Amino acid sequence: MPELPNRKVGIVACSGEELAEGTVTRLAALRVLHDMRPSETVTICLPLFLAGGEGDRAFARFYPTIAVDGCEKRCAARATEQFSGKPAAGVVVSDLVREHGLGQPEGARRLNASGQQAVVVTAERVAGLVDELLGAKWDRRTGSLVKSEVTPELEPATPSDDPPQAGCACGSAIPVQKVDVDGRTVSLVALPLIFERFHQAGKAPGADVADELLGMVKVYNDVPAGADEAYLAALAHEYAAFCGEQEAPR
Amino acid sequence: MIVPCSGIGKTYGTVSREAAFEVIEDLRPGSTQLVALSLLVLGDEEARAAVGTSPTVTIDGCKLGCAEKMVRESGGGIYRSFAVLDTYRRHRDLKPDGIAELNEGGLQLAHALADEVVATVDDLLAGDEAVPHA
Repeated sequence: MPELPNRKVGIVACSGEELAEGTVTRLAALRVLHDMRPSETVTICLPLFLAGGEGDRAFARFYPTIAVDGCEKRCAARATEQFSGKPAAGVVVSDLVREHGLGQPEGARRLNASGQQAVVVTAERVAGLVDELLGAKWDRRTGSLVKSEVTPELEPATPSDDPPQAGCACGSAIPVQKVDVDGRTVSLVALPLIFERFHQAGKAPGADVADELLGMVKVYNDVPAGADEAYLAALAHEYAAFCGEQEAPR
Repeated sequence: MIVPCSGIGKTYGTVSREAAFEVIEDLRPGSTQLVALSLLVLGDEEARAAVGTSPTVTIDGCKLGCAEKMVRESGGGIYRSFAVLDTYRRHRDLKPDGIAELNEGGLQLAHALADEVVATVDDLLAGDEAVPHA
């Protein structure tokens, strides 16, 4: 059965090559991805929001995302919001350096001691934010945490015995499907996976299943208030078409 | 201008970055300058002007070619595009590993790539190739 990804937090680092703080973002992000929260985090290269496909641009709509920036230009936060979705949280290295009274990071290629300290401080802040985001529901529309019960499908991944590795989303774009909702074309993140999962579970198209589909769609997408009926009709139609295609002789 | 990819998920991105640093800091510090890809993603005017007015060399870590695509989208003329994988095919003995920190093979591969980039920079500075190409 196709698996919908377990709930993870996305980390987008600016990686700015011109400043030592850019290198701090990169190394701090990698520290969290590799060592501190390997099972709970995933990353994507920032340029893929423009250079990649629609699935890449869905990243911050799919994963609550932490933007890790080196300086006040906040390229990661602004580009993520502009091209993918509003980040759930953001960290700026130059602010953390001031807050913690650290020395000036230097050496974009090889960080000095202050830069190394900044990596540790930044990684700790990011890991704390990961825990915070996993412990609460995130409203994609407002980019803020809301109190709500956790949906079972989005439970944090169970730590495994597999060796830690950076969860890189490059080249494994999140599937997106365009759907006509009341005459308007809407891109729904993860819909192909949801359809596959329902179909393989033997769920036949119908009103009850449409309700269930809408519930799952809402986990990964914003459904505007008052639009449930239109979405139900669209999902029922699309799912019937999907099942028809699966069952047609090939 | 040298624009490396900012790949963070694979070792080849780090090789791209290390090669770019080697060119601008060690090999041709006076005649090359680095442009951060994140600034181009955001459409930073200064970064766009830099790649728009100077011949640009891109270095990409994977086939997605973010550096090359972003320079083109920013209106920059690419003098030559390099791919880490092409250099690796020529130096199979230099197997890179590590993202936060490259192994010895990765550092040597970055060095080999930097040498290739420098040869292009020198051609460019000598005016041997007047027309930018990909």
